[in-house]
Order: sequence, then C-alpha cells, then structure tokens
Amino acid sequence: MTADTDLSFATPTLLGRLAHLSAEDLDRLDFGVIGFDADTTVRQYNRTESEAAGLTPPRVLGQPLFTNVAPCLNNFLVAQRFEDAQDEASVLDDTIDYVLTLRMRPVKVKLRLLAEPGSAMRYVLVQRRI
Amino acid sequence: MNHDPHAQSAAEHEALIQFLYLAPVGLVQTGIDGEIQMINPISAQLLMPLAHDGELANLFDALQDVAPELRQLVGVFGRASGMVCDGLHIHLGPGALRARRAPQVLSLTLLKLDGERLMAVLSDVTEQVRRERQLRQNDAWLNALLTSITDYALVGLDHQGRVSAWNETIGRVTGHDESVVGKPYSVFHPLEAITPEQVRDRLLDADQNGWQLDEGARLRADGSQFWGSAIISPLPDRDPLEGEPEAPAYCMVMRDISDKREAIEGRRKSVFCDHLTGVGNRRAFFEAAELELTHNRRQPRPTSLILLDADHFKRINDRHGHPGGDAVLRELGHLLSATFRQVDIVARVGGEEFAVLLPSCPLSGALAVAERLRAQAAQRTVGFDGADIGYTISAGVAACDGEQLTLETLMKRADQALYAAKAGGRNRVQPWMPDLHRSTGLAAGGRDADR
Repeated sequence: MTADTDLSFATPTLLGRLAHLSAEDLDRLDFGVIGFDADTTVRQYNRTESEAAGLTPPRVLGQPLFTNVAPCLNNFLVAQRFEDAQDEASVLDDTIDYVLTLRMRPVKVKLRLLAEPGSAMRYVLVQRRI
Repeated sequence: MNHDPHAQSAAEHEALIQFLYLAPVGLVQTGIDGEIQMINPISAQLLMPLAHDGELANLFDALQDVAPELRQLVGVFGRASGMVCDGLHIHLGPGALRARRAPQVLSLTLLKLDGERLMAVLSDVTEQVRRERQLRQNDAWLNALLTSITDYALVGLDHQGRVSAWNETIGRVTGHDESVVGKPYSVFHPLEAITPEQVRDRLLDADQNGWQLDEGARLRADGSQFWGSAIISPLPDRDPLEGEPEAPAYCMVMRDISDKREAIEGRRKSVFCDHLTGVGNRRAFFEAAELELTHNRRQPRPTSLILLDADHFKRINDRHGHPGGDAVLRELGHLLSATFRQVDIVARVGGEEFAVLLPSCPLSGALAVAERLRAQAAQRTVGFDGADIGYTISAGVAACDGEQLTLETLMKRADQALYAAKAGGRNRVQPWMPDLHRSTGLAAGGRDADR
C-alpha cells in the first residue's frame, strides 16, 4: 500500500484508492485533497490543501463543504455536478480549470471532481496551474 | 492555556481568514483598471460561471458580457474617492437558467478608495428583485386606486376590447366623442405603441389575474398625448347574450397621471436604461422579451429577434480610443431608437451588441428593417475629435413563427445567424436557417474577439 503515496493528480481510477489512504498518506500527496460524504460533510482534508488555504483540519473536518468550507465551489460548475451525479447515480471524473481564492488571492488551479455510485466518499482534488 | 504569542497570533490570523472565507457576500479589491488583487470565495462562486476562460484576473473582464459599462463608470467618476455605484443591478439573463441554482440578478457596489484601488461588494439578489417586482406592481395598483383621483375615464369594453359605450368621463379625459364606440381600446394608444395581439394579451391577463395594469403614453382625440394609467378588470356575469356580442365584458379605468410622469420615467430610466446609448439595458430586454414570448406561447403570432453588433469594433477602439468607440455606440443607439417602432424592445445587451425584439412581426418584416438599418449605418460617419469614424453593422435575425420557442433558443438562433453574417464578410444581414450551424462550421462560443 505504500506505493499509493506515489499517486498523482491525474492518476486514473483514483477515487477507490484515496478512500483507503490514511491521513498520513494523504498528507504526503503534492496535490490538495478534500474528501466529503453523501451529505457533503468534509471527512478528509490533507496537508497540501490545509497549507494552501491557511486553515487547519479542525476548522474544516465535520463541516458542510459547499456552505462552510468552500463556498466558491457552490455553483453549477462544481456543486451541481456532484448533485447531478448523485441524482443520476452516474460516475463523475472530470478535470476543470478554476480559480480558488486561497488566502483571498485569486489562484489558478485545476480541479478534479470525483464521485461514483456506491462510494461513500466523494473528492475535490486541487492542483495549482502554473 | 497557550501563552505562546506566535501561536496565538497564528490562531487569530486563521480565524480572520476563515471569517473572510465564510462571509456570505462577495468582496473584491481591484486596481483602478479592474485587475483583481484580493477576492473572497463568494465572489468566485458568482463570477466563475460568467468568466469564459476559467480565469479570474480582472473584475471588469469577468463582468464584460453582463455589465459592459463598468469601465466607463469608473473612468468618468470624477472624484478622487467615493462610491462609484451602489447596489447596481446586473441582469444575467436566460443563459443562467440552464442551472437550477444559478443567480439571475447580481448586485454590485463599487467604492473607489483612491487613484489606485477599488473595493467591490457582490451579492446574488435574485430573490429580492423578484419580491421588489411584486411590490412595484402592488404599488402601481394602489397608486392607481387610492391616490386622490381627480379625474378618470370609465370605459366599458366588449369581448374583443372594443369600446362598448360612450360616457362623459371618456369625453373629459380623452376628448373622444361617441364615434369612439366600436373601436378597440388601442385608439387611446399612440400609433405603433401597441399591437392588436397585445390588445388581446391584456384582456387575457385580466381574465387570468382578475386585473391588468399598464402605465404609459396615451393619445387624446386631438392627437395630443398624456401619461396614463389604466386598469382593465373583467366584469362578472359577462357571457354575451344572443345577438349582443358588443355587450361590455371588461371595465377599463383610465387616469391622466401626467403630473407624476417625471418621477415614474426617472425611476424607470434608472433601472431599465443603458447609460451610454439611451436604449434599454439587459434587464429591460430580458424582462420585456420573456413576457412577450410568454404571451406568444399562449396566443401564437410571429415574433422576431434581431441581434446586431458593430463590425471590427475593437479596431475602432484601437484607432480612436474608447471614447471614439463610445461615440459610435451612442450614434448606433440613436439610429436604433429612430428606426424601430415604439412597441419594439431595443436594448444594449453586450459591449457592442444590441438586441431588438419585434412583437407581431414576421421574419420578412424584421429582415427588411434590419437591412434598412444596416444600409443607414454604412452611409453614416460619426464625428469624433476631428475624425469622421465610419462603421458598419452585421445582424442576425430569427423568428418565432408557429413554433413554441424559449427566449434562449430564439437568441441562440439569432446569434448563429449573426455569426454567419460575420463569417460571410460582415456589413450584412443574415436570417437564421435550420442548417446554419453546420454550413458555417460554428463551434460553440467560437467567435473571435475582433468581431
């Protein structure tokens, strides 16, 4: 399982593998990981994301993602994609260009949106665009 | 207890950051040119769906399609600091309807801090605007009913909306004598300010809602105009008796409110008028166009849409500067106002893009008037700063005639036609045709910047 810490932002079939990583393993990844459950409650929040956003995990874990953690994603480009995938019981694995407001600075990122029917966890992955 | 001052300051910093992350309004600080320096998450939530390119570098660019006037507003703001606009409503239009949660109206407040910096506050006010509209209607209703009525005309209308009988109040307010009996109530409207289909729409609205209220210019028998408010209500027990089709079916109460016109028009202008060109703004267009198409679906008739814009506008801006470009847009606005009927809905819907909705007008009629407009624009020059700027326009025309189209589809078709007109060499008018998007090889949103 240690090989899983070599995972990259673009690794195929990433969702199933992320769910099995320990918090320590997630912290070793060089891209941001926000894992949330069927109610949008944040369950995983790794170091890369925490440092970029300037928020420690206790302020984020257990909070609803789209209202209390990342309201910038609460629109049809992101939040609705997850809702639609949930309603239609379909697989979501898409990468989009986006701008996050990390520490109130506009930061260009790529977001990978991951959801699968039957999987308890869903993910937003974050990688900076140069 | 933690007495480490660094740890304490870090925790306070984190709390402050989270406070800003969670603020339920959009906050943006930009340079004077709109370059974004600091921005909070709600701003990104509201602006990202509007930014085509996945970028969010400049606030004015992000809002260019829906509020093209911002740069100019900041440019002409004379003072060193102060409020540039306070709660400006930005109408996003039907494109936003594709998403359930998408806002339709944003409110923008811009504060100039100094010569270098602006602060912006953005929020989604879709719900408030919906409530305000309801209140405005209630206001107008009370206005019509309760304010000291000094004089009013009481007009009975038959099933077709024709004046069913004359009385003294009609004579006092409108100057009409008994010869007005049998004429449709559009006789009280200026020429071309209402179509026969709209005469019927208002009666049907009154049937559905119990009343229909309208304020606007009215015509007296001698041709002079006044500002009138009219309510039409269906009468109870109004099934026509055998052989009496002209029996009154509706009651119309009409008042001369010319003394209030300035206040009403001023309020209307500030909300519905494009500052630069004097034609309607996006909000005026989408509100009126949605209403007309709703009526169209209930009572089918041809409705046409013209989308047009100035050719190579970027070159005009590059050569003569933005004030030169603005002069061309102002001239085009005058030309549009002079060309179309009063009943047509003329609005600036983008930077150099205008839309005209023509109620009860088939495609052929819209093409003819668009062609007349194109020819006039091509002949004119705009005097600016010692130069004569020539310009041409391209137009795409689509009609809703026998099909039930949404405003979004109608706009998409006119846009495809406009694209074909551009691709075909500009300075031309192009009607929409079913295989247009294939023959021109139009890729979604693939128009180049210098149109």
